[in-house]
Parts: sequence; C-alpha cells; structure tokens
Amino acid sequence: MPCMDTESAFTSTNEGDNWVAVSPKLVTARRLVLAIALVPITAFVVGVLLWSGAAALFAGLVAGVALVGFLWAWWLIGRRVRSYAYCERGDDLLVSSGILFRRMVIVPYGRMQLVDVKAGPIDRALGLTTVQLHTAAATTDAAIPGLEPSIAADLRDRLARRGESRSAGL
Amino acid sequence: MNEDFSPAPGSSIGDDLGLGLAMPGSRLIDAEGHRKVHPISPLVHAAAVFPALVGVAFATGIQRVGSLAEGLGGIPGLGFLPPILTAIVVFAVIALLLSMVVAAFQYLQWRAFSFWFDDDGDFRVQSGVLLRQQRRAQLSRIQAVDVTQPFAARLFSMAVVVIEVAGQNDSRVRLKYLSLADAREIRREVLARSAGLSSTTAEAPQDVVTRVPASRLALSLCLRVTTAGLFLVTIVIIVVSYLTGGWGAIGVALVTGGVPLLIVLAEFVRYYGFTVAQSPDGLRLRYGLLRTESRTVPPGRVQAIEYVEPLLWRRKAWARVLVTIAGVGTESSGSGSQRGDTVLIPVADIQQAHDIVARVLPTLNTESLTWVPAPTRARRRSPIQWRNLAVGWDEDSFAIRRGRITRRLAVVPHARTQSVRWTQGPWERMFDLASMHVDTTPGPVSVSGLHLDAVVSRNIAKHQADAARRGRQIDNSIHWAAS
Repeated sequence: MPCMDTESAFTSTNEGDNWVAVSPKLVTARRLVLAIALVPITAFVVGVLLWSGAAALFAGLVAGVALVGFLWAWWLIGRRVRSYAYCERGDDLLVSSGILFRRMVIVPYGRMQLVDVKAGPIDRALGLTTVQLHTAAATTDAAIPGLEPSIAADLRDRLARRGESRSAGL
Repeated sequence: MNEDFSPAPGSSIGDDLGLGLAMPGSRLIDAEGHRKVHPISPLVHAAAVFPALVGVAFATGIQRVGSLAEGLGGIPGLGFLPPILTAIVVFAVIALLLSMVVAAFQYLQWRAFSFWFDDDGDFRVQSGVLLRQQRRAQLSRIQAVDVTQPFAARLFSMAVVVIEVAGQNDSRVRLKYLSLADAREIRREVLARSAGLSSTTAEAPQDVVTRVPASRLALSLCLRVTTAGLFLVTIVIIVVSYLTGGWGAIGVALVTGGVPLLIVLAEFVRYYGFTVAQSPDGLRLRYGLLRTESRTVPPGRVQAIEYVEPLLWRRKAWARVLVTIAGVGTESSGSGSQRGDTVLIPVADIQQAHDIVARVLPTLNTESLTWVPAPTRARRRSPIQWRNLAVGWDEDSFAIRRGRITRRLAVVPHARTQSVRWTQGPWERMFDLASMHVDTTPGPVSVSGLHLDAVVSRNIAKHQADAARRGRQIDNSIHWAAS
C-alpha cells in the first residue's frame, strides 16, 4: 500500500496498541509540589493581610479561594497522571496525555535526535524519572513523566537502539 | 537596480549604488598565509553603527537641546547657526567620535581576523582580540553560501559572505567585509570545494526564473485585507473631516493610515526586485532595495511550503509562498532580517508559484491529493473558516487547508515529517472534533489540520506516522548534490 486510502481513515486502528500507564507515585510527587508551592504563599498572603489590619472576612475569603483551588488541583492531578500513557509500536513511540486538553504525540524512532532522562529532587526522593524525546522539530513535545528509574533506563536504551538503526537525515 | 536587469554569465550577486566608491579587491594575505577581509572593513563597521549612534546621542540629549544650544552659542564659528542646527551638528560630531571608537575597536578585530582552507580542505576562521577563537566549518556540512549587502556595506561596494553550516545554533560563519568580486570568488570557491570539485572550477551559470515587478509588489502589499481596510478607514476619515470641516479625527487618520503605510513600505523595501534564479546548488533568491540579500534554497533542505492567498489577491490569482528550510530562521540572535529568509516568493501568479515550488519540491502535485474535509459540525467551532478546513495526502506529501479570508495550503513531504501530534481541546470535544499536526523543523509553515472528526483525525495521525516512515525509506533527495 503506497499510501493510506481514504477508507481506512474512518475505521479504528486502536487494537494491538499496548498502552503502558505511568507510576501512580507521580500523583504524590505532583501533589507534594502543589502543596509546597501553594501553602506557604497562601499563608504569607493571609498573614500580611491580617497584620496590615485588613478585614478578617477578606483574609478568610482569600484563604477560602486558595483552599478551593487547592482541592480542585489536587483532584485534577489524580486524573491528569492517570491520563499519561505511552505505547511502543514497531516504528514509533506514542505518548498520550491530558484531560482538558488531550494530546497524543507520535514520534518515529528514526526521527529522535536525543533522549533525555531527568529527575528533580522530589522525583528522586520518590524514585521517579522523566524520559523526554527530542526531534528536529521544536513543537514535538513528547515527555513521559513518572517512570521507575529502571524502566526509564530500559526505555531510553531501547529507544536509542531503535533510533540508531532507523535514523535518517533531515 | 536598473529595470533592465540582465544577469551576467556566471554570477549576478550584488551591485553598488554607483557612488563611485567601488573598491578594488584586496586579496590580503597575512604572515601565516591566511586570507584577510578588506582593510576598509573597520570603516564599514563604523558607518553601519553611525545612524544608530546619532539616534542615541539625539535621544539622550534632546531634553538639553535648549541649554546645550545656548552654551554653544558662544563658541566662535558656530554662532551664526540657529540653536537647533547647532545641536544637530553637536550630535553628529558626538556620533562621529563614537563611530571612530567603533572603527578603532573593529580595526583590532580586523587584525585578529583571518580565514583559510586547512589541510583537510575545511574552512577555518580565526578571530578575537582577547579571546581568540577558531571555527572550523566542515565542508561536507555546508548548507549554503550566500552573499548579502547591508546598506552600509553597499555604500562602500562591500559585501558579507554568510556560510551556513548544519548544526545546532549560531552555526553560520560571516566574513565582514569583502569587495563584491572577492565575495563572489570566495562563494564560488567554497561551493566548488564542498561539491568536491577543484577549487578553480568556475561557478555554474544561473538562469533567472522570474522577477517580481515593483508595481505588482506594491499593489499586492496594499491589497492585504487589514492594510486595505485601514487605508479605506483613513480615506473615509479624511473625506468626512473635509466635508464637516472638523479636523479633530485627523490624528486617528494619521495612525490608521500611517501604521499600515510604514508596514507596506518596510516590506516593499525589503522585497524590492525579488528575483528567483535557478542554479545547480539550488534556487537562488535575491532581493532588497537598500540592503541586498541573496539566499540559496537547496531542494533537499526544504521541509515544508505554504501557499498564502489573501482575500483580495484571489481575483488576480496571486499567491505568496512561504518555505521552511532546515537550519534557517531558527537563530535566536537573528534580527528582523532573518525572518524574511523564509519567503520563497512574495507574490506571484498561482501558476508561476506552482512552477517555483516544483523546483524545490519536485514530487509535490496539489492536484493528486486526496482530501478529507472537516465535518459540517466544525462550523460551530470555527464559523468562518470551517468550509476550507481539510487534510489531504498522496504518496509523497501530506497537506492541510485552512483559513477563509486568507486561504492557506501547507504541504510537508512524508519524508520530512518529524513527528505527528493529535490534540483535542475542551471546545473541540464538545462537538467530537480534534486537530492533528505534522511537526517539521522550526519555520514559518505550521501544518495543522484543524477541527476534524475526532476518530478520523486520530487514525489519520497514525497513518501519517507510517507514511512518514515509508517516505524516509525511499527518500533520496538529501543527496541531491551527489547525483
């Protein structure tokens, strides 16, 4: 088949794709970041408001809004992390993510320029790693967060190997 | 810039302003046998910054013009001038002194700057007074060699040679400044060597394909929807003001008329005399009224192209063609002058545009594309452009259509696909729609099929990934020079 025929565009091709979810520990990591960022800022703002003699009602309102935002983000993080999944196919890697804004990125192994493996301090403490793929296109945004370090290392090696055997010029 | 443009056999890059300042070639060689750029380069550098320095001196001194002029009134020999002229003279003198400092600094740079072909045949540039730096441009990785003439350089009949090397960022080598003859000579030599030919091979001739007439360029720039609209508003304001005798709105007219006029003028000056010529190393573009630029578009490096048809051009069947070239226009340090590198032709008949595109993307055939349009319910997401939204493909390329007022048709060869994305925002999901994007190297063309059926677009995205893989396997255009 030299190119895809119009017919097959309308039939589902999802069967056979073996999607892998990321570690649920990522939920903890993200919620920890959220708490570290939001709690001190809220406490500081409310403290300053009370100290400067603003109405207690106003300070309470600010704290309430922050609490609602916190709970919403807390809930959203759980859903967002569950939405992360990747799938290694014969010639490309699929990365899918997002709840509100859904996305799926298909990166052919032959187009990968480099594979980054990185982990921040919180990620390291929890034993998590992010694998990020780069192509020559700046718009390719294929990052898989929340992988166990051993899985991430294996994935990186597999990707690098496949990339090498299929690499092409620009 | 005569109208009877006739390319000399061999090369037709650059020209001078006929000020009689044409410099003889220098062919200077230093003690190590390395070549140097032209000895008047420091002066050209100074001339290039002079207008900016006048501006700075003026901006910083404008508040003090009065006192400055008074204070200077007593200086013998300047007393006969009106105060404001005195101030201008003072600013000019200050700027002149500052440019002398620039010239002195550039003289030191010039002494340290040399270039040569090393024993491996690679091109080397050495520079830096305090921090010495040597750069090596591997000949096999050279993408293009271009001769440009910034305005200051044109005054002196000087030119800049820009050597584009494949690489991450700021991978271009600039030789500032050389006489035109030397610049052409170095371009020819680098190209001949990188093609593996003897360094004395004569430059291949180039045939002029088309030249954009100045009148058509000017008209096309004015016929863009926002520009034409603003001009219309301006005319209405002026007429109404004239009839009613109330001139209060004239300030508004200055803005609505002045801003688009400046934009039109800037683009006109930039693309004036746009000439497309075919040469063996690719399509050569040459343009510019004040600063002449010359660009090479090697066919193997074209990543994507886009036809742009504004509403008012359609009756004349005109189109502009944008092009994404690997490694061009991505430099973060690139000033405004880098952006225009991505125009293949600013305005042309649609047939002519197809003809030019065929020279850089021979496999593209817009007639043979199979189109899948966006479903009717896409009108609720994009009430204006939904009718023109579609994705299409054939054996060699993937294409998208979008826009209603300004119609766009973007095409990427399967072999140039970097990755494929499928996205769905909340508004799209309400109507079971989704978009798919084909990522290419950074450039002006974005290949996004908007607001298609969610399932269909997802499947097309996956199929496109397969088509891209097959495209890469059969692709050999990267070796276009070797054949």
